[in-house]
Parts: sequence; C-alpha cells; structure tokens
Amino acid sequence: MEYFKSGLKTVLGSQDPDQQPSGAETVERLVERVQSSTLLDDRRDACRALKALSRKYRVEVGAQGMDVLRFILETDKADCEIIGYALDTLCNVMSPNLFDEEENSEEQQALLHIGEQFTEMFLKRQENVTLVLSFLEEYDFKVRWPALKLLAVLLSNRLRDIQEIILVSPMGVSKLMDLLGDSREVIRNDTLLLLIQLTKSNANIQKIVAFENAFDRLFDVIVEEGCADGGIVVEDCFILMLNLLKNNSSNQNFFKEGSYIQKLCPMFALPPEGSDETCWGPQKVAILLCVLQVVRCLVSPANPGQVTLSCQKSLYSSGIFQALSSILMASGVPVNFLTEAICTLSEVVRGNQHNQQHFANVMAPINPPREAIIILLMSMVNEKQSFILRCSVLYCFQCYLFKNEVGQAQVVQTLLSPSYEDSNLVTCGQLLCSGLYSHDSLSNWLSAVALSHTLIENPAQRENLLRVLLSPDPNYRPVTLIHQVALLFQQSSKVQSKLGFLILLATWLSHCHLAVKHFLEVPTAIPYLAAQVGSTIGEDDNEELVPGLCAFVMGICILFNDGSASSYNKEALLHLLSNRVGLEVFSAKLCEVSRHEQYSRASKKPQPTATKPDELLLDYEFCKLFKALESMIIKAVNPKEPTNSSTEIVENGLVSEYKDVIREQDKKIAELQSRCDVLEREKGELKNSLEQLSSTMSRISDENTLLKAQLHSGSLQDNNHNLAIQVDGWRAECARKDTTIQSLEAELQRLHFNAIETKNLSSDPPASRESQPHSADLQSEVDRLTNDMDNLMDLLADQDRKLTLYKELLKAHGERIDDDDDTELDSPPPSQQSPEHNIV
Amino acid sequence: MSYAYLFKYIIIGDTGVGKSCLLLQFTDKRFQPVHDLTIGVEFGARMITIDSKYIKLQIWDTAGQEAFRSITRSYYRGAAGALLVYDITRRETFNHLTTWLDDARQHSNSNMVIMLIGNKSDLESRREVKKEEGEAFAREHGLIFMETSAKTAANVEEAFINTAKEIYEKIQEGVFDINNEANGIKIGPQHSPSNSNLSPGSKPPSQPSGCC
Ligand SMILES: Nc1nc2c(ncn2[C@@H]2O[C@H](COP(=O)(O)OP(=O)(O)OP(=O)(O)O)[C@@H](O)[C@H]2O)c(=O)[nH]1
Ligand SMILES: [Mg+2]
Repeated sequence: MEYFKSGLKTVLGSQDPDQQPSGAETVERLVERVQSSTLLDDRRDACRALKALSRKYRVEVGAQGMDVLRFILETDKADCEIIGYALDTLCNVMSPNLFDEEENSEEQQALLHIGEQFTEMFLKRQENVTLVLSFLEEYDFKVRWPALKLLAVLLSNRLRDIQEIILVSPMGVSKLMDLLGDSREVIRNDTLLLLIQLTKSNANIQKIVAFENAFDRLFDVIVEEGCADGGIVVEDCFILMLNLLKNNSSNQNFFKEGSYIQKLCPMFALPPEGSDETCWGPQKVAILLCVLQVVRCLVSPANPGQVTLSCQKSLYSSGIFQALSSILMASGVPVNFLTEAICTLSEVVRGNQHNQQHFANVMAPINPPREAIIILLMSMVNEKQSFILRCSVLYCFQCYLFKNEVGQAQVVQTLLSPSYEDSNLVTCGQLLCSGLYSHDSLSNWLSAVALSHTLIENPAQRENLLRVLLSPDPNYRPVTLIHQVALLFQQSSKVQSKLGFLILLATWLSHCHLAVKHFLEVPTAIPYLAAQVGSTIGEDDNEELVPGLCAFVMGICILFNDGSASSYNKEALLHLLSNRVGLEVFSAKLCEVSRHEQYSRASKKPQPTATKPDELLLDYEFCKLFKALESMIIKAVNPKEPTNSSTEIVENGLVSEYKDVIREQDKKIAELQSRCDVLEREKGELKNSLEQLSSTMSRISDENTLLKAQLHSGSLQDNNHNLAIQVDGWRAECARKDTTIQSLEAELQRLHFNAIETKNLSSDPPASRESQPHSADLQSEVDRLTNDMDNLMDLLADQDRKLTLYKELLKAHGERIDDDDDTELDSPPPSQQSPEHNIV
Repeated sequence: MSYAYLFKYIIIGDTGVGKSCLLLQFTDKRFQPVHDLTIGVEFGARMITIDSKYIKLQIWDTAGQEAFRSITRSYYRGAAGALLVYDITRRETFNHLTTWLDDARQHSNSNMVIMLIGNKSDLESRREVKKEEGEAFAREHGLIFMETSAKTAANVEEAFINTAKEIYEKIQEGVFDINNEANGIKIGPQHSPSNSNLSPGSKPPSQPSGCC
C-alpha cells in the first residue's frame, strides 16, 4: 500500500517539482492511471481521486474520463468500492446543477449545459444505461445508491430517451420496483423520487409500474410512515400514485379492481373533536391535497364515462363519499383544503344519480339540522367568503344537478310551493333568488348560473320556472321571475351581472317556446336587447361579450318563436334586427363570442377556472349551448337562405350560383393540391438536410465539448510543449547511454582479451592450477556483463519505440522534427531505468 | 368483494387473432366487430369461483404488433397464467406460436400456466388450421388447449376458468410459492397464509360471483 501511495505522489508530483500541476494535468494523469494500471488497488485510488476532482474539474474529468469510467464499470464489477467511485464521478460530471465550486467561476455560463452535453455523450451507447441499471441489483449500499443517483441525473437531463431505454431493457422497471422494498430509507425514498420522474406522461411505463405491484408497495410505505400524519415521503407516494393514474384509464380500472380505493379511506379521518388548528399542519394539508387529486383523477369529467361511473360507485361504497361530506361540514378546516374537498365531492357526485341522491340528504351537524346543500349555497352568496370557496360551491351545485332531473325539479319546487312562507327556514331557491338581487355582481353571476343549471336539458323545469312569482317589494303586486330577470338585466351596470343574467335567459329560452313568449311580453326587453347588440361602448375586452350574448338571446327568440307572442313573431324580430342593428353587425357580434378568450377558457372543463372574481364571465354548459345554437341562429337570420316564397327562377339562379361556387372551389382545390405536392417535396428535402445538419450539429457539439475541455485545461498547447521537452530529455539520455555503451564495449573488449589470455594461461600446466579459480571468476563476470548488456539492449529498444511514438505525436501536433535524429537514435544502448518509465 | 386468491394473466399472440375480443367477451360479455388495435397493454378484471372459492382474475391484454414486443415482455415475469392465442383462419398466426412460446418461456417464471387458444372457431368455412394440429402442438409443448370464439362466446369462459383451475391445482400441490408476488398470485386480504386452508368444504360468502 505504501508503495502505491508513493506511486501516487510520484504521479502527482510530476516532472517539475517546483511548479504545482494544473487540475487538468492531474486529471489527465489520473485518467491514464485508471486506464493502464494493472493493479486494482491502484485503479481504485485513482478513481477515488477522480471523484474528488469531479466537481471542481468536471469538464476535464468528463471529457477525458468518460471512457475509462465506463471501462471500469464493465471490468471491475466485482469491486463495490471502485464501482461506487466511478458511478459517483459520472454522477457529478453529468449533474444538471452547478456545484458550489463552479458558481463563481467565469465559465459559469458555459457550464450551465455541460451536464446535459455529457449525458448526451454517455447515451450514445444505450448499453451504458443498461449497465447502470444492472448495478441496482447489487445490494451493497456503495453501489446501489450511486447507481440510483446516476439514473436520476440521467432522467432529469434526458427524460424521453431514458424512458424509452428503460422500457425496452429487460426487467428495467421491475429492478427499480424492487428497490421500493429496500429497508434502507434513503434508497427507498430516492427510488420514489426516481419513479416519479420516470412515470411522467408515459402511459406504457405507468402500466408496467402498476403491474409490478406499485400500488401495494406504495400503500405499504404510506401505512409504515403513518398515513396522513406521515411526512414528505407519504406525499411522494401519492404524487407517484397520481402519475400512475392520471389520464390512464387502464390503470384507473386496475386501481378500482384491485380494491385500492378502499385503502384511501383512512387518509380522510378527521382529527378528533376539539383538537386545535395545529392538527392541520402544512405537511398534512399537502398530503391530503394529493389524496384529493388521486380521487379526482378517478372521477374526472374527462375520463371515459364507464370508468368514472364505476369509480364513483366504489368511492361511495368505500366510505370516501361519507368522509368527504364530513370534511365539508367540519369546522377549522383550512380553506384551500376545504375548497378542494368540495370540488372532489362534486366530481364524486357528478352525473351519478345514486350519489346525487345521497348528497341531497347530507345534513349539516347544526341545530336544527339543515341540508348541507343549503349551508353551501349560503356561503356562495355570502360576499365575505373567499372567492375560490364560492366558485367551488357553484361547481358543487352544478355537479349535483348534472343529469339529475329529480334534483333540478326539487330546487325549482322550492320556489313554487308556498309552504316555505310559514317556515322561517330558507330554501335553495330563495337563496339563489336573493343572490340575483344582491348588489354584489359576483353573487348575481353565481346565482344566475346556478339557477340556469336547474334548466339544462330539462324542458319541464323551463316551464315550471315560468310560474314562479316574486314580490321584492310588498307594496307592489308580485311579478314573474322571468320578468324580474329581464328587468334586473336592464338595470344592472356591471358586465359580470349582465352576463350572468344573459346566461340564465339564454338557457331558459332555448328550446322553450313558452319561455320565449313570456320573455317577449316583457315591455322594453327586446328594444333593450337590440340596442345593446348595436352599441359599441366599452374599451374593456370583456364588455364585448355583452352585445354578443344579447345577440345570442335575440337569436334564440327568433329560433324558438311559435308566433304566439302578441308583438314579436319571427318576421317582426328579423325586421327589427335588420332595421335597428343590421344583420351584418348582428352576425359579427355573435361570432365574437366564440372567438373570445373567456369562451375558450370556459369551454375547457366544467369546473370554473377563474382565479380572480372579475374573470368569472362565462360558464361551461352555456358555451356548449352556444356552440350548438350559433350556426342555427346565423342560418335563421341569413337573408340569402332560400325561403318558401322563392320561385323556381330564384332557385335556378341559386343552383347556377352554387355551381359557380363549386367550380371555383374545385379550381382552388386543384391549385392547393399542386401547391401541397410542391410543399411536400420541399418538406422532404428540408427534412433530409435537417437530418444531415442535426447529425453534423451533434458531432460538432461533441467535438466542441472535448475541445472546450482541452482548451480549458490548456492541454493542447501544453502537450506540444511537454512533448518537446520530453524529446530533448530522451536525446540527452541517449547521448549519455551512448557513452556508457562505448565504455562498456571497451570493458568488454578488455575482458575478451583477458579471457583469451586466461585460456592461454590455462593451457600452461604449471600456472593453470592457481589461475583456474581466477578464470572461473572471470567467466562468471563475463556472463553477468553479457546478461546485463542484453537487458540494457532490450530497454533501449523499448525506449527507442517510445521516442518514435512521441515524435509521431509531435508531428501530429504540427512540430517540425529533423529526421536525421532518427538514424542517430537507432544506435544502442541504455543505462538505468528511471522511475518515470513505468508511468508513461 | 373479497377473494381467496388473485391470479394475474397475460394474453399474447399475433395481432388480430382476437385477444382483446376474448377479454371483452369474458369481462363484459360483449363482442367488438371492429379491430381496435391495442396500443401497449390494456387491463381487465373479473371474479370467478373455483372449488367454491372466489378467485379474482386480473388480465393484461397485450398488443400483438411486433413494435410493442419489447414493452409487452415486461409483463411475462409477474404473470401466473398466459393465454397464447392464434387465429384458426390464418395459418401464419399458428406458425408463429413457437416464437411466442420461446419468448414466454424465456421471460416468465417457470411455473406459468400456458393455455393455447385457437380462436374464431365460428369461422369454420375459412378454417386453415385443423383442431388436431392445435392439439398436437399443445401436447408436444405441454400446454392446455382449446378452440374458442370471442364472437359467439363459445369456450371463452372455459378458457379463462380452466387456466385458473390449473393454477389452483398447482398451488395445492405446492408448486407455486404463493408468498412471492412475482409469481402473479396473491392471497386475498382476509386469507392470510395462516388461515388459508384449502379444504374444499369451506363455504364462500353468499352472493354468486359477478363481474365486479
Ligand atoms: N368471427 C370472429 N371474429 C373475431 C373473433 N375474435 C376476434 N374477431 C375479430 O378479429 C379482429 C381482431 O380482434 P382483436 O381482438 O382486436 O385482435 P387483437 O388480438 O387484440 O389484436 P392486437 O390488439 O393488434 O394485438 C376484430 O375485427 C374482431 O372483430 C372471433 O372469435 N370470431
Ligand atoms: Mg388487442
């Protein structure tokens, strides 16, 4: 061991002892040593040293060491320690983060993507990843942990590539899954994080992970860590679960079939009665929010209906419906969690009659008991409640009424039956109507939209609601609700309120002749609408929506008009439109709606996505209605449309007109087709050249990385210089050896001479006896010397070879070398071996 | 509903032989006339009874197309049973069986029960592979064999249930290590190893099995 330490010192000590070697030089020597040392201990030491340098000199280590490190991974598998060093070093080299050591370096900018570039180089060989994966099977912490870390680094640099490689490497995923059971927490937790990365938006991997019993493993960990009271690890478990389930109906089905929904139930256990607010710590809330996300993705409105329906069923039978209801009615629940719980329960209920019915029966634990739904609506029309909470209640109400005719009827019924008057308990209907009258525009909007949901796809309720009478002022005789809404709409000055009322009116009037008749009988309703359509007031973007929606409601009055209204039949309305507004303007205003940013925003999903009160302007279901009726309205008001009165001549004219159009279009199509062909061809060419370019790019970028590294270490110039110095050294050495050889030759000659003499002497009998031992001595001396000389000759030949090599190198680097040296150096032999020879 | 055992199956075989249709017929009792190419893998499940015990079958229907082969291989190891399907009206799907079998044997655990299925038996007039050929192949390679029709549902139940019976018998013989989940077998939540006696006398809960 001591020997190797000193060996290392020799390496690091370098040729000029008075000058500290640069990092680059050190790295270079270490790399050489890892490469050429035949002794494992030696390689291991060098690897350890490389690891130590890999943060500060990561460019050098990466550029020069990548290949040897990989070589080590392949050949030194049996030694956990060296493998650990090699993996750690690679990890540092490819790390996506800057190290502290690099933070202040002037190269910081260049270093920003260096990890990624090295990753790219590493991935040139796909087997490298398989190799790293294979180290996960090694139980030794020294290997398993760095292998895991290295995979994480690779993943964060090149997610898609690694996903594809792991997907096709045999047992790749199952090796990772095994680590979830590792008793060492660090390994287990890092595996969790790695799996979270790995499963990101890749359905195939998600399915394999689920197949490999991920849900069982995760619930094991969750229980082990103390469920909702566990720490960040529990949260990680749910994040992974969410990754596996989101938009993956196969896994959702598996989750449901595997009875995992039941296992979520204990997570929702409320803190015992009377516990203080500390039981809702931020970590616990974070975990619970994740669990809610998991539930929501099982019943998301975007899922295939079958999956959602069966999950809703399981969520009820497993008790999660009940648990969520309790959370809604519990006190002290943080508002962000409460809001999310409301939305979750909403989706558990949405479109599922059984659950909707049970939701209607949920009672709030107050005295006297009231329906939870009433308590929720109270919050919705309460200005003091937070905006997100109020929105979530609207969503809840909408989900409760979605495809729920019975529920819709019940809400409308609360406004019709006089029974409420003698009880002083407020009803759903009353709350919503009070919201319509509120001075708070958000309350107006929320209540109007909520009320509109009692009418969706329900013709009976559209008519029933017409019978509702309101008496806001006891001194006047009661008026109908529709009359009230029409008036409120005219009186309000706020965009949000106006839009809310328009949404309610549009929903109410669509497909209902009777409602249209009632509405048309409201004096000033139509003139006001017409005026609004024609108005161009407002700089605010959102104000543009008002004329558009007014046009929509007018359109509905035309579409669903049976002529029974006294003043406005279809023709009268059309006439009014073309006179007061102009059909062009009308169509333009209508079209603006579906082009509005708020429209596309609201159309995305049933849940309102507004984050600020003034962003809440359109509703998902309303947008659906708009989409269904827009083109019908345009058609109905379009004067070009052939009418009953059109004569044959008109028709013929029309036919030829259409023929012209078709001809025109044919020509255009042909034109476009040929253009398309040309473009297709061009695209092919471009694609080719792009491919060429990108392969060139990748080559250049590799070269660039290497060059940068070399430049960085200055090794390019240094190399030439060093080589020149070395050659000079060799020359001097050779000269020295030449003289030695000459003297040796002289010596040899002398010895030859002696030997002959001795032989002569030995032939002389009297002298022979005494000279015999002497001659034997000499003989052995000669043997020894000859032997020595052979050795020296070998050595010289060896050095000669090296010298030629260096020359070659020098030449390659552009140094000029006078070739006559060559011949000179051909002549033999050397002296003593110097310690450096081993190393070079 | 709680089960005594859970078995994991995979369904493999060339594209278009009717793997997804067999699964759909088994889980939903429906037939799908249009070829809806499976991408990667799809999951299905159903409860059955064997020996008056509830057995939950979790089934992974794999894509037959070559491009997905490396992905679907990941499912071999963890499965207790495999349905290897060919189409009796397309000989090449029969000819490919050896490749499928080699692949399965190489990547699965050695105890995996393999059921060979000649599907589309309703299309007698277009038959290209004789029933005897299927039987011979099965005998030669130690597989169970059946001809089925995912369209008429003929033998579909039997194919899935007989595979389960074979696994069940292997468990009773002690061939399977039921505590190793990698074998594709799980013991039900209320049936911890200590009290999971397999005596056929014990009665299951009252309701009949459905597809839940
Ligand atoms: N007549 C008849 N047609 C069948 C039967 N089984 C499947 N088919 C038809 O065969 C075609 C392919 O069936 P799939 O089940 O989608 O095939 P697959 O094996 O899942 O194919 P991949 O998903 O590509 O691997 C469909 O058009 C089915 O209607 C059967 O038993 N009888
Ligand atoms: Mg299929």
